[in-house]
Amino acid sequence: MEKLIGVWIAAFLTLCIYSFLYRDNPFYRFAEHLFVGISVGYGIVLSIHQGLIPLAWTPFWQAITQWPPGWGLTKLIPIAIGLLFFARLIPNYAWLIRYPIAILMGIGSGLAIPNVMQADIFRQVHGTLVPFSQIHAGTLSGSEIFGAILMLIGVISTLTYFFFSVEHRGVVGGVSKVGIIFLMIGFGSAFGNTVMGRVSLLIQRVEFLLQDWLHLI
Amino acid sequence: MRRQVPLALCFVFGVVMVLIEFSPHPYSKFLYNEVINWSLIITPFALVLGVATLVQTHWIRIRRRAEYWQYSFVVFIGMIVMVTIGIPFGPSHKAFAWLFKYIQTPMDATMFSLLAFFIASASYRAFRARTLEATLLLVAALIVMIGNAPIGDLIWNKIMPFGENLPSTARQWILENPNLSSRRGVILGVSLGVISQSIRIILGIERSYLGGGD
Amino acid sequence: MLKQIMQIDRRIIFILVALAVIIPTLLKVSFPITISEPTRKLYDYIEDLPSGSTVLIAFDYGPSSMAELQPMGTAFLRHCFQKKIRVIGMTLVTEGATLGYETMQEAAKTTGAIDGVDYVYLGFRPGTIQVMLGMGTTINNIFESDYKEKPLAEIPMMEGIKNYDQIDLILDLASSSTTEAWITYINTRYNQKIAAGVTGVIISQMYPYLQTEQLIGLMSGLLGAAEYETLIETPAKATKRMSVQSFVHLLVFGLVILGNVAFFIQKRENENV
Repeated sequence: MEKLIGVWIAAFLTLCIYSFLYRDNPFYRFAEHLFVGISVGYGIVLSIHQGLIPLAWTPFWQAITQWPPGWGLTKLIPIAIGLLFFARLIPNYAWLIRYPIAILMGIGSGLAIPNVMQADIFRQVHGTLVPFSQIHAGTLSGSEIFGAILMLIGVISTLTYFFFSVEHRGVVGGVSKVGIIFLMIGFGSAFGNTVMGRVSLLIQRVEFLLQDWLHLI
Repeated sequence: MRRQVPLALCFVFGVVMVLIEFSPHPYSKFLYNEVINWSLIITPFALVLGVATLVQTHWIRIRRRAEYWQYSFVVFIGMIVMVTIGIPFGPSHKAFAWLFKYIQTPMDATMFSLLAFFIASASYRAFRARTLEATLLLVAALIVMIGNAPIGDLIWNKIMPFGENLPSTARQWILENPNLSSRRGVILGVSLGVISQSIRIILGIERSYLGGGD
Repeated sequence: MLKQIMQIDRRIIFILVALAVIIPTLLKVSFPITISEPTRKLYDYIEDLPSGSTVLIAFDYGPSSMAELQPMGTAFLRHCFQKKIRVIGMTLVTEGATLGYETMQEAAKTTGAIDGVDYVYLGFRPGTIQVMLGMGTTINNIFESDYKEKPLAEIPMMEGIKNYDQIDLILDLASSSTTEAWITYINTRYNQKIAAGVTGVIISQMYPYLQTEQLIGLMSGLLGAAEYETLIETPAKATKRMSVQSFVHLLVFGLVILGNVAFFIQKRENENV
């Protein structure tokens, strides 16, 4: 029974949203706002049950109930810092929110520098050049050699296109034009894949309406 | 106090995290774990604040009788129902899962599926081979689209006596060659940007995250 | 006539798109799927793992992407459960919490996998990168209990699993930038093997990581899910949906060609005038 009611409600809400394809209307606006409300409610529940309670409340409780008090008490500091986020809701003390944000920005930036350098610069440059050592060793086929050369040209020309410190004229202009060709093919392939992604969502909704709701398949 | 202390905190935490990366000493490992734990404790508060801000926005809309303000009540009803069931019973409770499955999921999925219609309409209206660049984009998109569709290989194999599964092979070639090169160029460019921005943040040169005011 | 074709009401295109989905869905059409190399690599990796190995699957998506990613999760879980590979599920996205739970339960039901013995579902924790890095020290530090709030210490499967050292693969089912984060922070720092299943929108940007083997395999959108279903010889939702998908792709292909033909004829006419 609960499934039946659920399916009918889901079908009604699905059709409410699809009514937007004709034009904006109260049914669509109702579903849109209900969606926001339900999502926010879901977010609150998850943030508390799977965020605040295990990560902040439990350590807090352990810290204040532990005897003799030990290292656990230091957990009270980040909890206090976290509470400063709510200063934003009090206009006179809104500036206190800068403390937790600054700490998180510092940690995030500090973590990013070495890891991004390793994963996205060193490894990517290595990936571009390593086929050439294989060419030297004679382990690549003709098409793979072509691919390796194409990759090098593509990476260099795309980077040149994004290099704005030099005016794009002469050789630099020519190379950056090659970069545009690679970028356009890249964007084209992304578009082709995006079509697949969006259509997949539609198929799933149609499948729901025809199968779960109308039992036509 | 209002700007200098946050900037100093950002600098200290940033430098500590960079230095720890290069130090195998047990003390630095301990420090690393503590800092990660601290940030794990701080983060959920931000999430709750995000939700509180959204509630505040809709409350203001009702108070000011903004356009379609009546719908903000629908927002509150949806939110209150979820919270009333979710907070005491937890997210794995049957009733909460039911609300998610039959109300939130269909609306979220349908909302985004609207884009399938708009992408088809936009393709028809705006996807024109006006220039060489636009033509390349268009041709690549069409090849990938047909290569993605199982019917592409099926039709090709039926009609053509050569090049078995050519549409999907061509799609894969585009993704693994020109697409890969351009994406790598973008990754390298973006990563250099991320690193320089991170350095600017740690050194306090970039401070827009502090917002306006004193 | 030409002008009419070019200025066709968009709602007519909407109807054509709807019909291109509804008719093949009703007719239950089915086409064979060609397997791509990145999906095969992921399948082969799991095939080569001995039973008793452990993989971690991150359900980093919400309902707006579940049409593409849920079938991937189901097919991958089936493969793991059939091979007696233990699975830890988790998510870095709030909405992923319920979706991941559902997916794991359904896959377990069809294969007879037992909660706490063959799989564990941990749920969600906020703070993407910090959660990933924190799990590198001890999983228990981030998730003291599973989604149903049972302490990890009481779950038999988690005995001996402390951190990434005991995990043979992480599969990230992603609709945003979480895969890049897994690669940047966890592959780099812990040399952890990572694979991904991603939505159509982000397929293209995964290829540089495949070539460097920072990703050991990739399922590309709904097609990737259909490929995996074909590999495990259990055609299901994705295979069906990809067959329907073909007709919409043909329609969009036709619309683009028609739009361009009309555009060029009109351009030529304007030049002649």
